[in-house]
Amino acid sequence: MSAEPAKSGIEIQNLVKTYGDTVALGGLTLQARPGEILGIAGPNGAGKSTIVKILARETQQDSGRITLNGLPWSAERDAHRVAIVHQEPQLFPNLTVAENLLVGAEPSRFNRPKGRDANTEVLREVGLLEYADATVDSLPLALQQRTEIAKALAKNADVFLFDEPNSALTENESAELFDRMHSLAGQGKVIVLVSHRLGELSTHCDRVVVVVDGCVRTELVTPDINEERIARELVVGRSGAGAADRTAREAAAPPLLRLTQWTHRRARFADIELDVATGEILAVVGVEGSGGRELVRSMAGFERAKGLLKLGSRSGSAAQSQVAYVTGDRSVSLFENLSVGENLFVREASRLTTRAGTLNRSAAHRWAAASQKTFLVKTATLDTPIRSLSGGNQQKVAIASALAIRPILIALEEPTRGVDLASKAEIYRLLRDYSDTGAAVVMYCTEDSEVFDAADRVIVLSRGRIVGSLLVGAYTDAESLAEAIASLAGSDAPHHHHADPHPQDGAA
Amino acid sequence: MSSEPAAKVKQAVAQTSPGAEKGRGQTFLREFGRTAGLIGTILVIMAIFAIASGGLFLQPENLLGLLRYMSTLAIVGLGLTAVLIVGEIDLSFGAVYGLSAMLTAVAWISWGWNIAAAIGLALLVAICVGLFNGFFTTVAKIPSFIATLGASTLVFGFTLLVSGSGTFSPMSGGREVDAGQISWFLGLSNQDLPFGLPMGAIWMAVIALGFWYIISKSLFGFRLKAIGGNAVAAQFARIPVRRYKIWAFVICALAAAVAGILTFSFIGSVQPDSGAGLLFPSFAAVVIGGASLSGGRGTVLGTLLGCLLLAILNNGLALMAAGAFLQQIFIGVVTIAAVVLDQATQRWRKER
Repeated sequence: MSAEPAKSGIEIQNLVKTYGDTVALGGLTLQARPGEILGIAGPNGAGKSTIVKILARETQQDSGRITLNGLPWSAERDAHRVAIVHQEPQLFPNLTVAENLLVGAEPSRFNRPKGRDANTEVLREVGLLEYADATVDSLPLALQQRTEIAKALAKNADVFLFDEPNSALTENESAELFDRMHSLAGQGKVIVLVSHRLGELSTHCDRVVVVVDGCVRTELVTPDINEERIARELVVGRSGAGAADRTAREAAAPPLLRLTQWTHRRARFADIELDVATGEILAVVGVEGSGGRELVRSMAGFERAKGLLKLGSRSGSAAQSQVAYVTGDRSVSLFENLSVGENLFVREASRLTTRAGTLNRSAAHRWAAASQKTFLVKTATLDTPIRSLSGGNQQKVAIASALAIRPILIALEEPTRGVDLASKAEIYRLLRDYSDTGAAVVMYCTEDSEVFDAADRVIVLSRGRIVGSLLVGAYTDAESLAEAIASLAGSDAPHHHHADPHPQDGAA
Repeated sequence: MSSEPAAKVKQAVAQTSPGAEKGRGQTFLREFGRTAGLIGTILVIMAIFAIASGGLFLQPENLLGLLRYMSTLAIVGLGLTAVLIVGEIDLSFGAVYGLSAMLTAVAWISWGWNIAAAIGLALLVAICVGLFNGFFTTVAKIPSFIATLGASTLVFGFTLLVSGSGTFSPMSGGREVDAGQISWFLGLSNQDLPFGLPMGAIWMAVIALGFWYIISKSLFGFRLKAIGGNAVAAQFARIPVRRYKIWAFVICALAAAVAGILTFSFIGSVQPDSGAGLLFPSFAAVVIGGASLSGGRGTVLGTLLGCLLLAILNNGLALMAAGAFLQQIFIGVVTIAAVVLDQATQRWRKER
């Protein structure tokens, strides 16, 4: 036994995990040392989430050894020493922020814990003090994720595993988060960052391992880490997944969608004047509370607004019914109890039904098989449960089911949140193909890189108003576009409005 | 709008591979495993009762009596299955069962209505209770547990009011009832069929077939399942969630009413508290049959088997003179065991 066992961090040796016939991890070996930030990159289904799940005790490995600080890892004993900040927050939505921090660490065995006192410092540090007594489900996603981070900090864990932690944070919030990671690393904690964003991996990590097919393919150390290197390792042996191409759109064409004096019922946005051209992909950008998210939802009728909405020759709710809508949150865009195939044809089902009301299962199956092919969904069979697909493929199913019914306009929120690079490029290409068929795409984005990769034009919202509109083609790289967007958004005060994760009464 | 993806879909439809059939077999096997387990359990319990009762259990008269009890449970249980699939709960069907029987009796015997009109009134009132449940659940947004609990009390109160808490029978009413109507009504559920088959079994078979079509074959059933799986996603997919939920409540109330009227026809009299004891065995049967209280799951075959199991327990324990208390305890244990087992296999499947 070494003299200083407390310093060696986490060591994983020959980790194997299979799900039925699928090999998720095929003998993975890696080490995370205290004081450094270890990045893990990898395409869909490479096994990244499986590593996280094993460390989070959500599943068990088939074989392989994990040691923590030189001692064999015991799920029971070490659970509290590893804190996991998830891609989708795993919180108690009905409890307050402060209570969420206390669950599992209640100060008294008998009394209901009283609030925030125990964690005031942590709450202040992450800027949640003013929300301490708000229930989690009343907060927007960005703040929910901050709560998740606060929970990890409150546990005073040795190992911090960040699983796509900032996928829904704004640039500023992400920057804050990375500062925090660096300071934790400075305190000698083990930090692991699982991310799809190569820029962040290369900027913030001391070491990056690229995981492909359940094994570590390459390990890159500081001077060698850059986006191109990681990207090259990721796409080796894959068909070229280049950035979605862009063509300049003709402003002269008559608009497909026109909003006039478009005002939210509760004034989340007001007096919006907006034209979207046929074939255009429009990005809507703005922090939570700016009204951007609500604006995109209102186009599909899932937020109530008044004013004039005209889509092609239709207007009002007749027009809104021609808009397909896909949320950013997969837990409310997919049906867990249905198969992949059923999820694909759920929106089309009424047209696959005989006049007598019988759902034609074989026609539905053929329809689902066809959209699976068109939209490049990777699944063993169409009858596979939807939850067994990787995040990227689930997202493709969500988007495919909306596109397959051929809406005139598709409205999306964060279309590639928590999705790997290869799937991202495929989703952008699908959206582009779709808009080229005489439709249009409007998407609410939280990542500037997404705007750059996928959109023709971006509008920036601040406090319910459009403060600017930029043609993406005028920018040569994502950074300069991001700067331009940031300068338009200006010194936008922190948000206090909350996005409602559920559709509104009677708005459907 | 003619579009390129549409063309792509059509093109791909033409070249769909037959390999996609494989997965359907897997799903079938899983469902089959569940059903086989339930059938196995039923056979084992039947064997135990057959031995313990010295063959009495297997006597034809006994099995036919069991079938009759099962038919009431199944008609009610199938309605409940529809509500559970859509992700709601109904606690009022027992009261609706009682009210519809009582209303038929009172309108027919006390008010002198024609029996067909009396039945029509009872069914209409049941539909109204279903609409009431649906309205308060989906429009007023009260949890269905509370809404239907309220409805249950309300409906039961209404039954007492209408009946003056008396027992009604067409043969011994104060008013003279037309003998033709009596024989027609009793014939609904109490007439001799070949092999002494109870009429209720025929009703059960017809109704189960209808439910099987609705739940497994129709668009309606598919959407019920989708809504039960994720109501928010269903709304985003532009499925009319409210309308479907209201329909489910109406179907459940109607099924309870039919069962109530048929039981009245079989017994020949109706008491104000009939249907009160139906709530628990129905839930137990449906849950044993694989329906989930959290929605999105449930089948006709499962519910029928669950009802059969409950009927067997009910009958077998009574045969062995186990006493009402012991019966309750035993049925409670079996229900919990069935759900625990089901949850365990579910988890095991997810893990795999």
